[in-house]
Amino acid sequence: MKFRTALAALATACALAAPAAAQDLLRIRMNADIRSTDPGVNRDANTDGIAWHIVEGLVALRDDATVAQMLAERVDVSPDGLTYTFPLRAGVRFHNGQALTSADVAFAMQRYMRRETNWRCRADLDSAATRLTAVETPDDRTVVMRLEKPSALFLTILARPDCGQAGIWHRDSLNADGSWRAPIGTGPFRLGEWRRGQFVELTRFADYAALPGEPTGLAGNKTPLVERVRFTIIPDEAASRAALIAGNIDILPDARSRDLPDLRARPGFSVHSAPSMDLQTVLMQTRDPLLQDVRMRRAIALALDVPELVRAVSEGGSRPSRSPIPPGSAFNTPAMLEVPPRDLAQARRLAQEAGYRGQKLRIITTRRYEAFYEIAVVVQDMLKEAGIESELEVLEWATQLDRYSRGDYQMMAFGFSARLDPSLSFEMFTGPKATQPRKAWDNPAVQAMLDQTMAEGDPARRRSLFEAMQARLMEEVPIIALYSSTTHGVTPRHVQGYRSWAVDAPRAWGVRIVR
Amino acid sequence: MALYVLKRLLAAIPTLLLVAASVFFLMRLIPGDPALLVLGDAATPEAIADLRASMGLDRTLPVQFALWLSQLLGGDLGFSITSGEAVGPLILDRFGVTAAIVLAAVAIAVLLAVPAGMLAAWKQGSWGDIAAVSLATLLLSIPSFWLGLILLLVFGLKLGWVPVVGYVTFAENPWAALHYILLPIATLALVEIGVLIRMARASTIEVLRLDYIAHARAKGVPESRVLLRHAFPNAFAPTLTLVGLVLGNLLGGIAVIETVFTLPGLGRLLVDAIFARDYPVIQGVMLFIALVYVSVNLAVDLLYPVFDPRVAAE
Repeated sequence: MKFRTALAALATACALAAPAAAQDLLRIRMNADIRSTDPGVNRDANTDGIAWHIVEGLVALRDDATVAQMLAERVDVSPDGLTYTFPLRAGVRFHNGQALTSADVAFAMQRYMRRETNWRCRADLDSAATRLTAVETPDDRTVVMRLEKPSALFLTILARPDCGQAGIWHRDSLNADGSWRAPIGTGPFRLGEWRRGQFVELTRFADYAALPGEPTGLAGNKTPLVERVRFTIIPDEAASRAALIAGNIDILPDARSRDLPDLRARPGFSVHSAPSMDLQTVLMQTRDPLLQDVRMRRAIALALDVPELVRAVSEGGSRPSRSPIPPGSAFNTPAMLEVPPRDLAQARRLAQEAGYRGQKLRIITTRRYEAFYEIAVVVQDMLKEAGIESELEVLEWATQLDRYSRGDYQMMAFGFSARLDPSLSFEMFTGPKATQPRKAWDNPAVQAMLDQTMAEGDPARRRSLFEAMQARLMEEVPIIALYSSTTHGVTPRHVQGYRSWAVDAPRAWGVRIVR
Repeated sequence: MALYVLKRLLAAIPTLLLVAASVFFLMRLIPGDPALLVLGDAATPEAIADLRASMGLDRTLPVQFALWLSQLLGGDLGFSITSGEAVGPLILDRFGVTAAIVLAAVAIAVLLAVPAGMLAAWKQGSWGDIAAVSLATLLLSIPSFWLGLILLLVFGLKLGWVPVVGYVTFAENPWAALHYILLPIATLALVEIGVLIRMARASTIEVLRLDYIAHARAKGVPESRVLLRHAFPNAFAPTLTLVGLVLGNLLGGIAVIETVFTLPGLGRLLVDAIFARDYPVIQGVMLFIALVYVSVNLAVDLLYPVFDPRVAAE
């Protein structure tokens, strides 16, 4: 009895002492620390996800990956497609109270375009497809950007999350020597505290100039509704789930598919699913002695039961798609959603014609990303049913990425991060192997079509070009596109307004806590 | 004594240099490019080359090693190539978290396991002995991550006594800090209790069989005095060696426990750095771990004479 009483007293003491969650604090799980606070420079997906709360660019992406105005009131494009004029919105202020001017935009863009900055997207704005030649400021409220030739990608590059949305920050974000200090942006939240290895805390920007309407993607109305947002670093998946259930976090933005049935069954929790714009694939090395024969590659594709594979790997959460353009994109067409049926007899026949004599194919994969490994296991099993032997080579992620970049593989289970323009969805695996060994599809005719899509401004003409490329992809099979994954966010009852979206990292604006 | 310590520390310098060289070159033999890991699957060859140059990885390996070594001799461990932080302060910061947990856990484990092991040896074959050996075997067999998760689920999730995730330093709020490190300490202590019970029991059994113990008993020395004065101090010496090894091992990082309990410790820093091929951090941490090993072993050697005066005489 005494022991029980002591235990109860200890429990009460512990419960009382456990730090209570403040009503104005929204706590979100983050699976690893951020790399820096410098938008688009030293970055990864988590870093981008913090940056987009703090800084904004001239334009931003909507939910469907189309481009909307953000700091720009509108975007005027000259008839020749070479001059973009961005009148700035009135009333926008930086977190230090200074008003946004065109000089701030020019200052930030000049830093981005300097080689030593190492901005991720400098090469994209200095390429054959898109070359930014000048940033001009005719007056305080107007920015003019000039291109060498028309580009369908220009605005998307400016809006891309991995480019830090070409975020505009105040010059006081830099130290006197020009090095990065901390972001002073115009976003709905300002940087509070970054405790490395533990959390990143943001505080509400009271003078945030919100756009009217609804939030969409990284655009639209981004009004902050909580005083503080804390991104808590929890690397372990099981611990994250436990933290959500125990009430130690308010948003689990990336729940595992396998945890969903349990979380759905718990009263008071909501699951928010949204199709992502990444792409899970099987890559094939078209220079491999066996796989250089298109019949062998077709045989492999026909041996796969793609709907069954996707159902097994995503636990029914994603839909199969043989197109690199994700179903959520405005450029995805019904033809791209067609998935050819499995045909084992045809697969065997084609393999035989290609001279396949039972050699073991080698499929590289990793356990770092669960889906890659599971895809490889299911592919191996399905190939066996078609009489095609294979073995898995399970590598640590850095090693697999190295092999990918050198093109040193026969087959590889691989995932591409979200590309938010359809040209980039094809570009990520198309190109000359001589200069870019990582590219899976080396076909000059297709490359010419791809270049055309990058210069073409008319959406209808672009769409038909993509359909033609999709048809070629199905014929030549340098990769087997499988599906775009689905992001599952989970929140308890007291969190309202949260939505998952096409990019994995969460958005804290528009979210409130109601207890 | 001071001269002995100085000699030991000087003798450690070649070991540390060997560790430095081995870690430097072995890490670079492993495939994987830090620039590629930073830039990801969309990286262009030009962007990778630019980033490699800014990281100093475009130089030859001997030049990179010479530069790092010269920095090292000046007391500078360099900067993380992923976060840009100075490696020295980063290691000390993370080591503080690991050390707090490890020292507390090992202290608890020693206080509980050593008497338990010795008593089990004294009453060898009794129910108490069987219970102690069974407990030790059970604790040794349980993987630490599983035990940690179970404790987390029971005390964090079901009972809600402690927070499931997070960390607060003692300087900030000692009471809250205790809540955050309670379960990691318990997990680690339970695992180490298993190891130490077995060691303490085995070494005590060995000592109890020696002639001088029989002689003391024959002289009519009371049993309590035989144990406390003659048996236990001698039996503790081998256990102390093991405690030293355990401490050195754990202070080098408890990555699994740090990951399960989301603690920003040295082990997680090292594992993250290896995944990211963050060479300066890996080199710095490995060197630091070697230094910790050397220091802990030295401390244990200096403690030996307390329990075994023959060592001092030698």
